[in-house]
Amino acid sequence: MNSFPVISLIVFTPLLGVLLLLLVPGTNHRAIRWIALLAALGSFAISLLLLGYEIGGSEFQFREDVGWIDAFGMRYTVGVDGLSMVLVLLTTVLSAVAIFYSWEPIQKRVKEYYIAILLLMVGMLGVFVALDMFLFYVFWEVSLFPMYVIIGVWGGPRRVYATVKFVIYTLVGSLLMLVAILAVAIAHAASGQPFTFSYEALRGFAYADTLQALAFVAFFLAFAIKVPMWPFHTWLPDAHVEAPTAGSIILAGVLLKLGGYGFLRFSLPLLPDAAVSFAPIIIGLALVAIIYGGLVAMVQPDLKKLVAYSSVSHMGFVMLGAFVFNEQGLQGAIYQMVSHGVTTGALFLLVGVIYEQTHDRLIAHMGGLNARIPRYAAMFGLFTFASIGLPGLSGFIGEFLVVLGAFRYNGFVAATAMVVVIISAVYMLWMFQRVFFTVPSDWMSRFWPVLRDINRNEWIALGPLIVLVVGLGVYPGPVLEIIAAPVDRIIEAVNGAGLTGFGPLW
Amino acid sequence: MDMLDDLVTLLPELILAALVLTIITTDLFLSRANKWLLTPLTVAGLVLTGAACVVVWDINETVYAGFYVVDDLSVFFKAATIVIGIISVLFAPSYLVVRRIPLGEFHMILVSALLGMFVLASSSDMITLFLGLELMTMPSYLLTGLHKTDRYSNEGALKYFLLGSFASAIVLFGISWLYGITGTTNIAEIAAALEGRMSGALLIAIGFLLVGGTFKIAAVPFHYWTPDAYQGAPTPITGFLSVGPKLGAFALLIRVFAEALAPLRADWLGIFLVLTVLTMTIGNVVALVQVNVKRMLAYSSIAHTGYIMAGLAAYANASDTDTAAQGIEAVLFYVLGYAVMNIAAFAVVGMLQRDTRRFGGLNSFAGLAARSPGRAAAMGILMLSLTGIPPTVGFFAKLYVLLAAIDAGLAWLAVILVLNAALAAFYYLRVIVYMYMRDPEPDPAPIDTSPFGSVALALSVAGVLILGLFPGAILGLLEVSAASLF
Repeated sequence: MNSFPVISLIVFTPLLGVLLLLLVPGTNHRAIRWIALLAALGSFAISLLLLGYEIGGSEFQFREDVGWIDAFGMRYTVGVDGLSMVLVLLTTVLSAVAIFYSWEPIQKRVKEYYIAILLLMVGMLGVFVALDMFLFYVFWEVSLFPMYVIIGVWGGPRRVYATVKFVIYTLVGSLLMLVAILAVAIAHAASGQPFTFSYEALRGFAYADTLQALAFVAFFLAFAIKVPMWPFHTWLPDAHVEAPTAGSIILAGVLLKLGGYGFLRFSLPLLPDAAVSFAPIIIGLALVAIIYGGLVAMVQPDLKKLVAYSSVSHMGFVMLGAFVFNEQGLQGAIYQMVSHGVTTGALFLLVGVIYEQTHDRLIAHMGGLNARIPRYAAMFGLFTFASIGLPGLSGFIGEFLVVLGAFRYNGFVAATAMVVVIISAVYMLWMFQRVFFTVPSDWMSRFWPVLRDINRNEWIALGPLIVLVVGLGVYPGPVLEIIAAPVDRIIEAVNGAGLTGFGPLW
Repeated sequence: MDMLDDLVTLLPELILAALVLTIITTDLFLSRANKWLLTPLTVAGLVLTGAACVVVWDINETVYAGFYVVDDLSVFFKAATIVIGIISVLFAPSYLVVRRIPLGEFHMILVSALLGMFVLASSSDMITLFLGLELMTMPSYLLTGLHKTDRYSNEGALKYFLLGSFASAIVLFGISWLYGITGTTNIAEIAAALEGRMSGALLIAIGFLLVGGTFKIAAVPFHYWTPDAYQGAPTPITGFLSVGPKLGAFALLIRVFAEALAPLRADWLGIFLVLTVLTMTIGNVVALVQVNVKRMLAYSSIAHTGYIMAGLAAYANASDTDTAAQGIEAVLFYVLGYAVMNIAAFAVVGMLQRDTRRFGGLNSFAGLAARSPGRAAAMGILMLSLTGIPPTVGFFAKLYVLLAAIDAGLAWLAVILVLNAALAAFYYLRVIVYMYMRDPEPDPAPIDTSPFGSVALALSVAGVLILGLFPGAILGLLEVSAASLF
């Protein structure tokens, strides 16, 4: 198995698709769509091989390690542990769904669109599997620009503003992170070790306190902007509102997870002392995000914006779980990332279904849809409840574990986080009521005769998400088992280092 | 026999000089319709010179009584010069022809400037250094004013000439002070004589050399001539001016500050750091508000100067030889990478000026992706590279500088640099926004599609990507080159 480059195949199959697309004339939309879909499905099929990961075996499996820029010790090192694995699978599933869903809505500059989405896939997958910090940074940036183009070219009316905001925000964070990565690698080398960017070599090294604090802040900015944490979230609603549906699915489903992944993979194990010192602040910000996101979501007139702000709130749970440093919290954080990816991806897809027909997303313009398109209403209901965290659906497990972890950390924190479960029920159910019950608005009445229910293609796109949201909800065991080892390692790193005497900074 | 042996080490310079003469004479015998043959001729000559550079690699000799040094550092600069020359020569002709600018003069003057850069890179004596500097800048003035019937071209050339001569005089004055203090013009001897010395007179010498040198690289606050000179010059030539003389000027800075004044580096570092920060920040801030792409690129080239200076600052602040060498290597890599991407970027602007009334405004880029997908994609990659996004050479160049700066204990400078890079993203990406996210103007600018230009563009973009993905290939050469200084 080891000689077979599974991970490279997963990451670069989409790139192969891009190269093939370059050879196809831009007018042959049918061929273009098939190539893109097959590339994404190919990547997905190969990613299923990762299920052969041996729990209890070595930490990173399916490793590949090739020299790249030897003068600086940069290597092409990739591998997966449980954390990477679930996120890689989430990425390949959601990308395939997004590409399939784009079949009809995207009619303009089709070839460029699929090239961008496949490149985006390469970047995202690369981030999750890179074990060389320089390689990680390269993939991180590679994932940025396709999204910039997707929002900017195929987005809504204010797309240029939204996309420039998105890219500048992200770029500031990631460039500071680059400085931090270099500083960490140089500090490591200064102790007489060979110069390397290998993640496995760099973690577990006792960095000086100031360096840890500064590097942590730099990493924090990069990841917090991506998550996005309050108060760095302002790019998100703009980007979501303007992005095409498939862009929103990937943005909410996967791109936000890059930030959460970054915290869990790099910030905590690499700079544990700083992480412990900064934890109270981050938990505070997470609580603000959870509540603020929920309250703001409540008053959104636009369906997509509502889901976007609910993401701010849900990702707050991820951050909260990550920084309470106990098993339940961390497991909950990871579970919540996966669940949020599936649920929010599906919700954006469903918003897209109605938007394609009416070109409008205002909640006030809807109403009574349950009577006209009941299957759509049922599916929307399913994911609405999953988002609220109804037991039996995926959202519940993550939120429950996070709150449990938070309770072990501090009862007050847990209680505050719990309040928001009520808020989320309020904004989601209220939205659901206004959209699907009551009487149709005048605006919607115009579309009444032509409204159609979910069609075959949309069912196919939704299918995997429905399976996942129910499956993850009723049978969380396998996933929790897979992420148990990475969680233990993070706790070990934090506990081991938190005692070295890195005093609070304040 | 010594003289003859020495001649071999001058092989690249000799070929280049012969090329100048060949161009002049060939030009006489070519009918107007056949003038385009000068371009392949020049390229062939430059390739031959490049081959000669391979021959003199690893010789590391000082020849002609200490006036001329052929070390690996100089050979690296020469090779980079050749790259710049070849790309510039390929890009320019179609732009010049529609404006009735004589091709023969262009080729001959350009190659003369290249020869000046060769001499500058190889100077081991202040006299040779000044000679090279003048041989490089005189043709640059001429190139700026090559479009004789254009007012802006005249204005730019005049400004460039007046301020440039002034700067040359200042450099010369600095050299004379150094001579007065040390009694020699030989760079190695100056360095030896300055070991452990500091005086008011020396400070004056450093001051003059710093002002003159930073003038030539167009660092803030001595940058005022650049936007006008760059905007006035014919666009593809602007591409050359923004990197060629800059490369030469950095060769000068390295020879003067990292060789002659190396013992005093702790003394010039402070003011140099101030200039570095000012240069990158002001260059970016002013570029931010430009709506003319040509002028935007001109200001952004000031910002890039600042990034390169950071490499030199890292050299000066380094505590050990390895780190110091890394600073110099960063300068070399950045200069080379920047040269390739910037010439090509200016060339694309030039391609949109096929209609001579166009000035390279942002609007002419509107909807370029639909009208010319290949050129738009190329420009997009160049813009990303100038921003410093992987996997392009621009990214790796910045990374090298960052690495050198952090290693040398200048982490704060690295932070300022990346914040500037994020700022620069705003205006570079604006070009992409126009190309990909706007519809074309009702009366779009015609696009130049000359074969030479297309080939050069393809080569540049390939270079930008390949050097970005696999820089390992030339890192070894850089190390050897920088080692000549230590």
